[in-house]
Amino acid sequence: MNEKLHSILKQVSKPGRYSGGEYGQIIKEKSKVKARFAFAFPDTYEIGMSNLGVRILYDCLNREDDIWCERVYDPWVDMQEMMKANDLPLWAHESQDAVRDFDFLGFTLQYEMSYTNVLNMLELAGIPLRSSERGEEFPIVIGGGPCAYNPEPVADFFDLFNIGEGESMLVEIIRLYIQMKDEGNYSKSEFLHRAAATIPGVYVPSLYDVQYNEDGTIKAYVPKYDDVPTKVIKRIVEDLDKAVFPDYAIMPYIECVHDRIMLEVFRGCIRGCRFCQAGMIYRPVREKSPDVLNEQAKCIFENTGYEEISLSSLSISDYTKLPELTDMLLDWTKDNMVSFSLPSLRVDSFTKELMEKVSSVRSSSLTFAPEAGSQRLRDVINKNVREDDLMRAVNVAFDSGKTQVKLYFMQGLPTEAEEDLAAIPALAKSVIEAFYKNPNRNKAKAPSVTFSVSPFIPKPFTPFQWEPQDSLDTMQQKQQFVGSLVTDKKIKYQHHDAEICRIEAVLARGDRRLADALELACREGFKFDAWSEYFDYEKWCSVFERTGVDMDFYTTRRYSYDEVLPWDIIDCGVDKSFLVRENMKAHENTTTPSCRERCSGCGANKLGGERTCCPKRK
Amino acid sequence: MLSEKKVIPGEKKHSLPLLDTPATVRIKFTKTGNLQFISHLDLQRTFHRVLVRANIPMWYTQGFNPHAKLVFGLPLSIGTQSVCEMADLRIDRKISLEDIKNQLNEQLTDEMQVLDAYYPTTKFNDIAFADYTVKIRSPKITPEYEIAATALFAAPIIMTKKSKSGEKEVDITDFIKKIEFCAIDGELTVNAVLSAGSTENLNPEYLVTALKTLDLGECPIYTIMRNRVFDKYLIEFK
Repeated sequence: MNEKLHSILKQVSKPGRYSGGEYGQIIKEKSKVKARFAFAFPDTYEIGMSNLGVRILYDCLNREDDIWCERVYDPWVDMQEMMKANDLPLWAHESQDAVRDFDFLGFTLQYEMSYTNVLNMLELAGIPLRSSERGEEFPIVIGGGPCAYNPEPVADFFDLFNIGEGESMLVEIIRLYIQMKDEGNYSKSEFLHRAAATIPGVYVPSLYDVQYNEDGTIKAYVPKYDDVPTKVIKRIVEDLDKAVFPDYAIMPYIECVHDRIMLEVFRGCIRGCRFCQAGMIYRPVREKSPDVLNEQAKCIFENTGYEEISLSSLSISDYTKLPELTDMLLDWTKDNMVSFSLPSLRVDSFTKELMEKVSSVRSSSLTFAPEAGSQRLRDVINKNVREDDLMRAVNVAFDSGKTQVKLYFMQGLPTEAEEDLAAIPALAKSVIEAFYKNPNRNKAKAPSVTFSVSPFIPKPFTPFQWEPQDSLDTMQQKQQFVGSLVTDKKIKYQHHDAEICRIEAVLARGDRRLADALELACREGFKFDAWSEYFDYEKWCSVFERTGVDMDFYTTRRYSYDEVLPWDIIDCGVDKSFLVRENMKAHENTTTPSCRERCSGCGANKLGGERTCCPKRK
Repeated sequence: MLSEKKVIPGEKKHSLPLLDTPATVRIKFTKTGNLQFISHLDLQRTFHRVLVRANIPMWYTQGFNPHAKLVFGLPLSIGTQSVCEMADLRIDRKISLEDIKNQLNEQLTDEMQVLDAYYPTTKFNDIAFADYTVKIRSPKITPEYEIAATALFAAPIIMTKKSKSGEKEVDITDFIKKIEFCAIDGELTVNAVLSAGSTENLNPEYLVTALKTLDLGECPIYTIMRNRVFDKYLIEFK
């Protein structure tokens, strides 16, 4: 294997993606290992290596002496051709052994457009696509990650899903497997049944029959056995201070998207923006203590030598101990030439003090996400940010010599009217005007505002899950309309590909009836659909047409509140009644305060959690 | 989880006594196995993290954007392994050469190990030649193949050579100081001394490309190892 792989690597681009051999990778003695787990990220090495969740779970599994977890990525197109020509099956990085021979193959589902890569990787591994076609000789195929909250479009291809945070769940699943193998009573079907019946958070799609109504909506999910849960409740880690967090990293040699210390400060988000899936599915908010974070950062620095720390969380400025943490970090990072950066700053929290501490703002550009142009629409989506906040934030930036601002928006949000769209370029214009009114501005440079507009995609477990997406024509007309309002050369307009957003919506709200389409897509060679150079809308339409899928059913249709949704089989902690209330409030232009101001009774506190702002459940 | 011992980052390094003036230390190291696929640029980009992990007291450039001073020797092409890579480090605190070697090796994998650390007396610009071993495995290799290979390299071999200034036709034998072949059934070993350095350089892959014209079958398995480097007088460069 090694020699064959090496001779192929001499003929492909960026062979460092495939060679492995990084410092920090974990090598175990095969004879001492009882279960081998291939952890696959269904995209390139550079993207997969940047994912913090994979790093955490890799550590969780490899802390167990008798389990060996290795990494797998989707080889780039040139490498795939070489693999096929040379009969080289998909392999795992650490051992370079074929993935097909592993006990488990786990995929993290980070974005819907990676589904074709999942099937592509199964094909490269020589593993049958459908769970029902895989005998005992093939690995158990597990899915997890944010897209597993609606696993239905890919349900037929997976044996089992992890719903929620995998830290302890994944080890419990493998422990059950090892135990059954040791006792000699292992069979795939018995294992899946026992996992579903005994391990909370485990969803085995083959153990449920789905019934449909005549209009194509879902009638019911019927468990095949009495001991299989009728709703799979999300697993969480209650106390993040005590959770496994790797104090090392696998050090990539080639350039990755994120190649720095990633310090997870808290999980969840207090805000409740109504379009945002992450803000709902990661509830309840759970914080880590600053002294724990500081010690972890120091250990990771010593073990990696990284020159940058990124504090990572949704809406980082909502961390209650942010000043304490940044002061603790600054205490030792400066002497060691380490800088730190904050992602995703909210405009209402962007202050001069914070900016001075953070090195990422050394760059000349700053990014904010007002999401909608008008105040009315920002209230509809519950962004809870006002134009004054944005103007104050950009002035802080201009005061310190910045000249470039990036703004993120969405189009096609519920209740949107023409004036809301027109307000987007108008807001960009007022940022330019604010620059010229600022007496402390950098007078040597002209300002530049880049605004980017993405079409709205309704996502499961959000208050907007029932809302229709604009038709393709409408999305494109709106893009032209917004573009036509930009006349200032200091303002640059970018927009996302509406065609990709439409397919993403089908996959996001889809059900099990998409399986045939995805299988056909795989057979026809679909891969890297998140990469615009490989995405082909016409081919997708053709695949859906030939497999009898009506795209409008999943995209432009308004789902009704009482309809059984494909993801109703999952309980993510947030109650459906809360999502209905939030949806209604959106249509009344009414906002909901953040979790810290007042509890809105979303229901996620039933899952527990330490250092949270939720009221304790009685 | 909160570890028992409190970590003070960089403590080991910062407790060393400062030198009066910064010193340059050369390390000689291997780059083998999987790491042959890591480009020279990627190694340069990531090596300072190894130096930080190993607590090597690097001297940092003064100024707005301080960075450690690290200079690599002769670049190594992707797909070529080596047991004679070199890099010069600039240090500003007192540390023994043995400690530099051992501390680095603890932070590197088996496929990259420091063989030696010493104070250099030469400049990387003086490198003029490098010694390579190419091993090719193919069922097409027989004692007759050795004769044919020897004959091939006795005459000019015109190939298109890519360089920064563009492509041009060259006789690659102009860059070959010495070449020897040894074939046993199924395996050909080539020992060659080739021009190397900033003025004239020949990537040993060209030897394989030339040998492929003698029918090696499809996709032969081969390895290339750089063994030693020399100055223009063919004295081993240290």
